[in-house]
Amino acid sequence: MGKEKYEESSSDEEVNSSSDVVEASSDEEVESSSDEVEASSDDVESSEDESSSDNEKVEESDSSEDEVAPRNTVGDIPLVEWHKDEEHIGYDIKGRKIMKQPRKDKLASFIEGADDPKNWRKIYDEYNDEEIELTKDEIKIIQRVISGRTPHAEVNPYEDYVDWFEYEDKGHPLSNAPEPKRRFIPSKWEQKRVANLVRKIRAGLIKVSDQHKEEEHNVYSLWTDDTDSVENKKHGGYVPAPKPKLPGHEEAYNPPVEYIPTAEEINSYELMYEEDRPKFIPRRYLNYRSVPAYDKGVKESFDRCLDQYLCPRTRKKRINIDPESLKPKLPSRKDLRPYPTTCYLEYRGHMGPVNCISVDPSGQWLASGSTDGTARVWEIETGRCLKIWEVGEVARQICWNPSPDRPILAVVLEYDVLLLNSGMGDIDIQTKMKELLHISEPGATEDAGDSKSAVTWIQHEKHDGIRMKHFKAVLSIEWHFKGDYFTTVVPSGDSKAILLHQLSKKHSETPFRKLGIPVTAVFHPSKKKFFVATKKFVHVYDLSKVEKIQKLETGVREISSISIHPGGENIIVGSKEGKMCWFDLELSTRPYKTLKVHSKDITRVTFHRTYPLFASASDDCTAYVFHSTVYSDLNQNPLIVPLEILRGHKPEHGRGVLDCKYHPRQPWLFTAGADSIIKLYCH
Amino acid sequence: MPPKHYRAPGKKKEGNAAKYITRTKATKYLQVSLNTFRKLCILKGIFPRVPKKKFEGNHKTYYSMKDITFLAHEPLLEKLRHKRAHEKKVKKAKARKNKELAERLLNRMPTYKLDRLILERYPTFVDALRDLDDCLTMVHLFASLPAVEGERIQVKRIHNCRRLSHEWQAFISRTHSLRKTFISVKGIYYQAEVQGQKITWLTPHALQQVLTDDVDFNIMLTFLEFYETLLGFVNFKLYNSINVKYPPILDPRLEALAAELYALFRYVATGSTRKPAENQSIASTEEKKDSDEKMDTGVNESDLQLAQLQHQLPSNEPGALMQLLEDSNNDDDDVDQDTIECKTLFKNLKFFLSREVPREALLFIIRAFGGVVSWEGEGTPFEETDEDIAYQIVDRPTQGHKFLSRHYVQPQWVFDCVNARIILPADAYMVGMVPPPHLSPFVDDEAEGYMPEYAETIKQLQATAKKNVMPLPDLDNQDLADPQNLIADGVMDRTQANEAAGERRKLQLLEKQYHDELKMEMSGITYSATLSNKKSENSGSEEMQHKDEVVVPVSTEKNDEDDRAKLYMSRKKRGLYEAIEISNQRKKDKVAVLKERKRKAAASKSG
Repeated sequence: MGKEKYEESSSDEEVNSSSDVVEASSDEEVESSSDEVEASSDDVESSEDESSSDNEKVEESDSSEDEVAPRNTVGDIPLVEWHKDEEHIGYDIKGRKIMKQPRKDKLASFIEGADDPKNWRKIYDEYNDEEIELTKDEIKIIQRVISGRTPHAEVNPYEDYVDWFEYEDKGHPLSNAPEPKRRFIPSKWEQKRVANLVRKIRAGLIKVSDQHKEEEHNVYSLWTDDTDSVENKKHGGYVPAPKPKLPGHEEAYNPPVEYIPTAEEINSYELMYEEDRPKFIPRRYLNYRSVPAYDKGVKESFDRCLDQYLCPRTRKKRINIDPESLKPKLPSRKDLRPYPTTCYLEYRGHMGPVNCISVDPSGQWLASGSTDGTARVWEIETGRCLKIWEVGEVARQICWNPSPDRPILAVVLEYDVLLLNSGMGDIDIQTKMKELLHISEPGATEDAGDSKSAVTWIQHEKHDGIRMKHFKAVLSIEWHFKGDYFTTVVPSGDSKAILLHQLSKKHSETPFRKLGIPVTAVFHPSKKKFFVATKKFVHVYDLSKVEKIQKLETGVREISSISIHPGGENIIVGSKEGKMCWFDLELSTRPYKTLKVHSKDITRVTFHRTYPLFASASDDCTAYVFHSTVYSDLNQNPLIVPLEILRGHKPEHGRGVLDCKYHPRQPWLFTAGADSIIKLYCH
Repeated sequence: MPPKHYRAPGKKKEGNAAKYITRTKATKYLQVSLNTFRKLCILKGIFPRVPKKKFEGNHKTYYSMKDITFLAHEPLLEKLRHKRAHEKKVKKAKARKNKELAERLLNRMPTYKLDRLILERYPTFVDALRDLDDCLTMVHLFASLPAVEGERIQVKRIHNCRRLSHEWQAFISRTHSLRKTFISVKGIYYQAEVQGQKITWLTPHALQQVLTDDVDFNIMLTFLEFYETLLGFVNFKLYNSINVKYPPILDPRLEALAAELYALFRYVATGSTRKPAENQSIASTEEKKDSDEKMDTGVNESDLQLAQLQHQLPSNEPGALMQLLEDSNNDDDDVDQDTIECKTLFKNLKFFLSREVPREALLFIIRAFGGVVSWEGEGTPFEETDEDIAYQIVDRPTQGHKFLSRHYVQPQWVFDCVNARIILPADAYMVGMVPPPHLSPFVDDEAEGYMPEYAETIKQLQATAKKNVMPLPDLDNQDLADPQNLIADGVMDRTQANEAAGERRKLQLLEKQYHDELKMEMSGITYSATLSNKKSENSGSEEMQHKDEVVVPVSTEKNDEDDRAKLYMSRKKRGLYEAIEISNQRKKDKVAVLKERKRKAAASKSG
């Protein structure tokens, strides 16, 4: 209701303002069209409050007629609220109260409104508390205002402009000079220009539009015969764009059944990465007319365009070769015989993995050491176990004395090295051995200066040999070729890591001081040289001068074993990553050849003493046999040929073949496995 | 401390920095916008390079500095600048509402020609032919596109593309140099051999093409601009080589009926007869030919007249025309065996195309392989009621009158025949049947390692058609002799197929041996000697193998041999070897998938 009222009051104000302007005789406005009446009846119903007393109307109109300003003088105050309970609505100019008109009851006012056809144009003026009837002109004005025009129809908003001053006979601001002559004669410049154009058109330099269109089909024989000469060559190596891929069977509109992926396969494409997903999924149409237009045709053509001008092009050699041709041409294995190929004998008897084996220089006996705490001697040809020593500890390494008249076995245990009399040979030798392996006074060896604390030589009562007690764990042992000296490696021994022992004098010393952690040490087979392998390097020492000669860089991660060629100029090094390096000492300190042989640790590499063979054993249960010819001519590189892969051992606790040794005279290979079997491979 | 790549003032750049330039720098160097640069690159055929060292970062595009200097001296660059200036003038005139000037300026827009560029890019004609694949594909694509106002594809250009593609097809068909065809989902592939170059192109299916939003037509139109010019020149050269005037003048009546291709065929066919007409000393016994030649000599003066005269020729008698063609062709000595084979494939066969078959494609193919074609409509060479029609190509089975004298086949039959180079039995391609699978002629099944069943069938048919090897009497030759059986063979069950394959293999072996022996005989080696030699060789190697086998367990022997060789390879070679092995394995896997699917399909069919 409040809102309605507000609207009403605002409309009242409008009317007020306009009522001043237009003074219309409301009485004259009697007739009104029937349409208006009908339209007004609605209004009447909606605004019942508005319809106030009819009687006042005449008075009001009278009062408005006398051209006085509104008779109420209270000013612009919220009348309805403030004078709600008063009986006056304000004061006239003389200070008299203007009394409120008596209120009409609603029914009466409604009936009155319904009877009076002019009721729709009556407006209640709250301020003066009277009812005003609008004239026809006023309504028109209101309509014009609502539609945004000037309120009075007779006002012309676009009247002609009338200059505010006169300039007749006042002189002109521009030049008043008479028209020059050149305005009346043809332009010389234009004439020149036209002449120029005409000349150009005649000469054919400028083409008239008709001529222009004729020249669409100007093709001619572009390539004449002489263009075939090579002088027209491309600069900078033009690379033609590769041709698009030709379609396969799967792109046919009706491909064979097998080229259409099944529903599951299509679903599985959804799971793939977007790059991996096949771009084209074959479909089958039963006849040609059902093939739809290819929706990616334009896009593919566009992509091809992009490829052609945006993709860098380089020439790449497409390798289209038979993979077999990549394999090096190896000399026929047939020509390199004999070499071990098949397992001939098995030596069974050890209860645990066989750690080490050694063949005696005569080639008759085989010694082996195992984790079961025994060392055994076998007869090679029969496989009979000849002798067993209960050493009580894990036998880490075993080694025959290389001199034939000293059948001594050296066995490496945890801290001890046992020198045992194998009991081979005739009586003379046996008596000599007993003599040799006898330590008369236990304190006799202790005079050996600095190595005093390192090793102690003790008589071993049980096995009738010598027990050399080391201060730290021993890793390996190696005899000098003459059979008197031998060396042991104590990796954690710091400055006393490499020990040299003399059997005849029962004497030990540590000549090499500054070393890393040695892995193994070997004597040169003929010269006074000594090889020490640390983790990554092999150091070569001169024994007579006790100084380093060479340092070989293997480039492997961890050396596990080394072996010297009987000629003495070549070394092979096996590593724990399965790589094997061949060094030519004359050539370089770097490997001449590195072979990635095994998938697991190489446990042992070994040369044959007479045949041009070497072998490697590994934890991947294989042993490889290689041929290696070393030429006396220095210019010729050694020939290395992989010959045979020997399998047969079974893996045990992740370990495979633990040791391999060649027979001294025959091309036979012994392998010791973690499956506690020793195998003999013959040719 | 100077920066890492410090270059003293006055010292030139060196190395990669001197040899290559990035794209942004290249545009700055040439003082052109990127759009113009792109256009220049497309037209000049300049592409990015990969420098050995990407001195400005990995994500940038590098161009060879030589290429860019080459562009800098390009007259086209100046032309494009003029054009741009001119466009500005037009714009200005329009903005000033000077319509007259704008119109005049528009009429005199600077133009450029690409002929010099073509010669520059393709110094010899063979070079151009070698690079024609993309050109043809693009032109054929645009020939089938609708003219879109918004994308600035003008109707004129589409018509031009259509004309060029038809001219090309007419030439190919006239010289019978079409070799392979293939209906793929993407469209129809054709492969032709022109001057020893294999040219492959793709025509979209004759349907409304789908235009997507993700395509920048400006780039494609730039390419098309070059390709249109190139194909125009190539066509000119080719038409010249067969003594036909270029551009051809077509029969306006046929053109109006949208049978431009046919009109072109007729034009090309008659144009080619100029040659024998010129040297009339060749005695021509046939009266008909004589008269035709006379007509042609008259015609030579004006090609328009020729077209009209052609029009007067009895239109339902193209046989005479073909005859003429054949006669003239016999004079050519330089035609190779392949062309002759292609030319005679559909010789003396009349084809009729019903509605709803790809008319232009079939018209082109059948003509290229020596057949005579007609179709439903006006201006056709002969009517459907012609009794001589041997094959009617129908796609949708209809209720109309059927002639007993002809085969009603599906369009695929034509394509398969062309690829197999023999007339395949039409029974499997009858209307309303599901045709046998359509195989791609571009696949080398042997190299792929998998031979689809139908390919084998076709091979058999080819063998019987050629009859170069007599089937051995003791072998079961029924599947060789009877092509009908062979088709049935297609649905034969798997075991039988395997047996047959085994037999075939044997047969092939025998064949091969026979051929080898024949060859040896030709070269004059006595049979016994070679045999004994071979035997000794064989026995020797066998002996060796045998020995090896005895020594080494059989299963690991091969493996060992591999490992042994692998040991000795350098790391690079070993990597390569392994990569090859992987790719081979992938190939094998693919074949295995195919075989598995095939097996399942067969099982589901039988079960």
